[in-house]
Amino acid sequence: MRALTFAARNLLRQPARAWLGVLGVAAVGALLFDMLLLSNGLVISMEQMLATTGFDIRAGIGGMVPGGGPLIDDAVVLADRLRALPEVADATPVRFADGLLARTPRPLGVRVMGAASAGRPAWTLLRGRDLTGAPNEALVSQRVLDVMKTHIGGTLDIRTFAQGTRTVAPAEHLTIVGVAEFPFESERGTTIGLSLAGVDRVAGGTGAERAEQFLITSADGVEPKAAKAAIERAAPALTAFTNDQLLVRMQQGGLSYFRQISFVLTTVTVGFAFLLVTVLLTVSVNQRLGEIAGLRALGFSKRRAMADVVSEAVLIVGTGAVVALPLGLGLARILDWILKSIPGIPASLHFFVFQPRALVVHLVLFALTAVAAAAYPVRLVATLPIAATLRREVVS
Amino acid sequence: MSVIEARHLTRAFPMPAGPVTAVRDVSLSVPPGDFVALCGPSGCGKSTLLHLLGVVDSPSSGTLLFDGQDVAALGDTERSHIRLRKIGFVFQRFFLLPMLSAAENVELPMAEAGIARSTRTDRVRDLLSYVGLSARASHRPSQLSGGEMQRIAIARALANSPRLLLADEPTGELDQATGLQIAALLDRVNADGTALVVVTHDPEFARRARRIVTMRDGGLVGEEAAR
Repeated sequence: MRALTFAARNLLRQPARAWLGVLGVAAVGALLFDMLLLSNGLVISMEQMLATTGFDIRAGIGGMVPGGGPLIDDAVVLADRLRALPEVADATPVRFADGLLARTPRPLGVRVMGAASAGRPAWTLLRGRDLTGAPNEALVSQRVLDVMKTHIGGTLDIRTFAQGTRTVAPAEHLTIVGVAEFPFESERGTTIGLSLAGVDRVAGGTGAERAEQFLITSADGVEPKAAKAAIERAAPALTAFTNDQLLVRMQQGGLSYFRQISFVLTTVTVGFAFLLVTVLLTVSVNQRLGEIAGLRALGFSKRRAMADVVSEAVLIVGTGAVVALPLGLGLARILDWILKSIPGIPASLHFFVFQPRALVVHLVLFALTAVAAAAYPVRLVATLPIAATLRREVVS
Repeated sequence: MSVIEARHLTRAFPMPAGPVTAVRDVSLSVPPGDFVALCGPSGCGKSTLLHLLGVVDSPSSGTLLFDGQDVAALGDTERSHIRLRKIGFVFQRFFLLPMLSAAENVELPMAEAGIARSTRTDRVRDLLSYVGLSARASHRPSQLSGGEMQRIAIARALANSPRLLLADEPTGELDQATGLQIAALLDRVNADGTALVVVTHDPEFARRARRIVTMRDGGLVGEEAAR
């Protein structure tokens, strides 16, 4: 009888204990798997989100990661210059603001995204028509349409805050020309799209075409790094970031906290699994010392007796680790849903993302846990004094 | 040549109050086909001597030769190999594995010895028939009586056709009638050519042996031919 079969039969002597052990490992394993999905999930999800927008470079002024920085004057003219570079396929200047739509009984907070009509659209048009550049035209998300109980062709009154101040600008009268899907919009997000001049006007400006950043697509066959260098040469005031660079910045910034939390919780869950299996096996071996001594007296080698214990650890941990996978994936969906309900989190962003690497790490960690957990009970078996144990069994 | 030969064996156990000598300067030789009963009061060192003869314990001093080979020079693997292939053990408490059937318990030492499945199956059938428990092959130990469990344990001890069978109080947990059945079975095992060393308190059982060796305070104090 092979060690694994023997171990399985041994475990089934007390099926309740064996299954409780497996379920314990599975529960711990599900958490471990989720921590592994979380450790890189946000970065991968962010990478996918950045890639799906169709832009692979973002540029702003002030040397900072684009977004919320100083405004770029004459953005449309500068975009034309960038578009003329052979390394650049397209460049779209964009600007963001927060606004309030007039509504009874209270106004609706919205995110305003302004983009130049020339260049690749920063949003995906779902119905109606795109903006022509006229300052009073607006695209809205479906949710704005629903909440405001209006329709394409309907009108909206919007007030927004001038950038960098808490001053409310005068209300602007907008006409809805279409429904669009906006990038990075949250599940319950309310976004409206305007022209650059439109954003400037509702922000209390004169309708100047100023932008916060450029969304840029590098030309076919051109590495984003090469396009970035060309952009910074052509417009020294701009600092460009490729998507990869942005991801690195994010990993060094806020996303690193998730990785650290994930590391700590991974260590704790592996520790729990180790302790659980060690306790189970130690109790099991201690209860069977007489039997093990009997088998050794019958000629079972020390190596075989040790292999039996390791096999038991492998069976408990292996079964638990496999059960942990669907359990972990289910749990990840629930946790993802909870985290995504935080206001402002983009709908297409996921905290827990399946990666084959996470699966491999999960299985390797559990294999190591099984071996480590078996170490003490294996030592008990290896150092078991056969004669003394047989004598003790008879006396007891 | 003797199957096993003990020369001046001593086994002392270190204790806080000083070493306790369980076996003292024992010399004993068991030729092939012999039947030795080890008798003596409780605590006189019978089981310790049996463990030394069964290569599950090592003497503090003295020499133990198995088939002329000094077992002191052997490592754990070689000692396990001798126990597996050349020695059979019968315990007072049977030590059958509760999760295995009677047949699987008997098969276990053969599987460990690497004997082919078809040979094992035939041998298990023969051994169960030998101990009169063919009908109980698929029963678990918990479904067997004490006497039946000991007969299965004897079948298991005979699985690899050992040259020496060691039994430590094999009737110690059985009633008198069942004990007699086990004694008769061991008689038969010996008659079929296996050397036997049995530790027993039962004088009637001891009289079935060819030699009765009496121990006291760890030493051999007498030997008589029983039949």
